[in-house]
Amino acid sequence: MLKVSQLSTHYGSVKALHNVSFTAEQGKITTVIGANGAGKSTLLRTISALVKPESGSITWKGRELVGASPESIVRSGVAHVPEGHAVISQLTVEENIKLGSLFRRRKFASDISQATKEMFDLFPRLQERRTQLAGSLSGGERQMLAISRALVSRPEVLLLDEPSLGLAPLVVEQIIQSINDLCRKTGLTVLLVEQNANTALSVADHGVLLALGEVAADRPAAELMADTALRAAYLGY
Amino acid sequence: MNTFLTALFNGTSRGAIFALVALGLVLVWRGSGVVNFAQMGQAMFTTYIASTLIAHGNSYWIAFIVALIAGALLGGAVDLFVMRPLHKHSHSSLNATIPIIASLGILGVLQAAAGMFWAGEERGFPTPVNSLGLSISGKVMPFTAFDLFVVGVVLVVLVLTTIFFTRTGMGLAMRASALNEEVARLSGIKVHYMKVLSWMISGAASSLAGLLVTPATNLSPNSLDLILIIGFTAAVVGGLDSLPGAVIGGFALGLVISFVNVYLTPENVFLAILLTLVLVLIVRPQGIMGSKVGRRV
Ligand SMILES: Nc1ncnc2c1ncn2[C@@H]1O[C@H](COP(=O)(O)OP(=O)(O)OP(=O)(O)O)[C@@H](O)[C@H]1O
Ligand SMILES: [Mg+2]
Repeated sequence: MLKVSQLSTHYGSVKALHNVSFTAEQGKITTVIGANGAGKSTLLRTISALVKPESGSITWKGRELVGASPESIVRSGVAHVPEGHAVISQLTVEENIKLGSLFRRRKFASDISQATKEMFDLFPRLQERRTQLAGSLSGGERQMLAISRALVSRPEVLLLDEPSLGLAPLVVEQIIQSINDLCRKTGLTVLLVEQNANTALSVADHGVLLALGEVAADRPAAELMADTALRAAYLGY
Repeated sequence: MNTFLTALFNGTSRGAIFALVALGLVLVWRGSGVVNFAQMGQAMFTTYIASTLIAHGNSYWIAFIVALIAGALLGGAVDLFVMRPLHKHSHSSLNATIPIIASLGILGVLQAAAGMFWAGEERGFPTPVNSLGLSISGKVMPFTAFDLFVVGVVLVVLVLTTIFFTRTGMGLAMRASALNEEVARLSGIKVHYMKVLSWMISGAASSLAGLLVTPATNLSPNSLDLILIIGFTAAVVGGLDSLPGAVIGGFALGLVISFVNVYLTPENVFLAILLTLVLVLIVRPQGIMGSKVGRRV
């Protein structure tokens, strides 16, 4: 499991996370919800070492991640799809996907074409556009590409930051469903950040509610879903 | 007609060298966001190394290879021991200017060191092949064997660089690191290694440029200053963030300078360089192949 304990992250004098603790079970979807500015992205960015925490610990299968570099964290199986369609627009679709598998190209050369093929099966639109520059893709296609880039590294943990941002509900449904399938089939552990709490809670096993950088609730998703008072207080609906 | 051809071939051979210099500048600019003003100082230094080796009886080719390796190592060292520590410890609004000052400092140190080690006096530098007008079946050609050598070597370098960047995993990793550091790191790419590598390739390319141009300029601690200015202009004309642009810019400037030299007077060369720069930037502010600001395509 992915275990976060007593994690605090500051940006200068801004305390974005304060003593955050929770665990994400292996093979399950854990969703992190909360209002704008609650610290959801900061949490994911701290896990993948894009920002350094002030204090606290993050372990995956007992291995400490705090202090490691982002690239070594990816290499140890924790992949992060950051907020906002993180692809390299000057590279082609194929090259963007290839990026995620580059570090495995010596040890697992034979698996890479298989992994790439799986991505194209998952998102056939990307296959049709594989020689196009990523910059020419639609928002939804870019998000599919960013997710593919992360998945092609065959991660054990997937950190997904607002995959639904700016996407049509139908596309969101498809993406969430694909992630769900992967979870059930391959034992992928998912930490899903979502603006839309209903979508996230309906697919997740567990939910963590962040408010002003602190954990306000840490419960099974179904319970959070049912607790209308809590949601009204923290999410406004 | 013969004057025209001489200008054409001479310009192409000089342009090839400027293309190398511009390529080196663009590689480091894209990889680290630094305009490396020390680049041709490094090349001057490694050309001195080659010159000393030759003076001690080694063959041109041994000196050639050693200079290229020294160029790569010197480039890597500048990144590892100067640029990286500075980057780590700088948090002020001067951030953007610090690497510029640092590279000027390195240039000064290298020139002073060269003056100390090799006394400042100007010396010549050999060519591996004849640099007199080539004659084929009794007819004197408008180019020399050395011109052919220069253009040939540079073309090989350009082809290899293109293959490296477009066909290999490491080339892709380097491009990704230069374009978007965060996405590259999140893809497991060791961006720091890629940066050092871009400094090393740049160092080797400029060292090569030094070896190729010095037979014409002679060698002194300041002998490559002008080449840096021309190479930098070529890089800017090409768009600063485009490798093909740097190459086109290099050849373009080589030709402009050569034709001005032949048809006007050598005094007009600087004016011609400046005019080329201004004209290109008026017509295409982002350079020939450069991307528009805020939309680096
Ligand atoms: N780079 C930064 N520098 C300074 N403060 C930051 C930085 N990034 C985030 N913050 C602050 O940290 C807090 C948490 O931001 P974060 O991006 O983690 O929120 P979020 O929950 O992801 O919000 P959203 O739902 O809008 O994406 C906010 O108050 C934000 O202003
Ligand atoms: Mg966010």
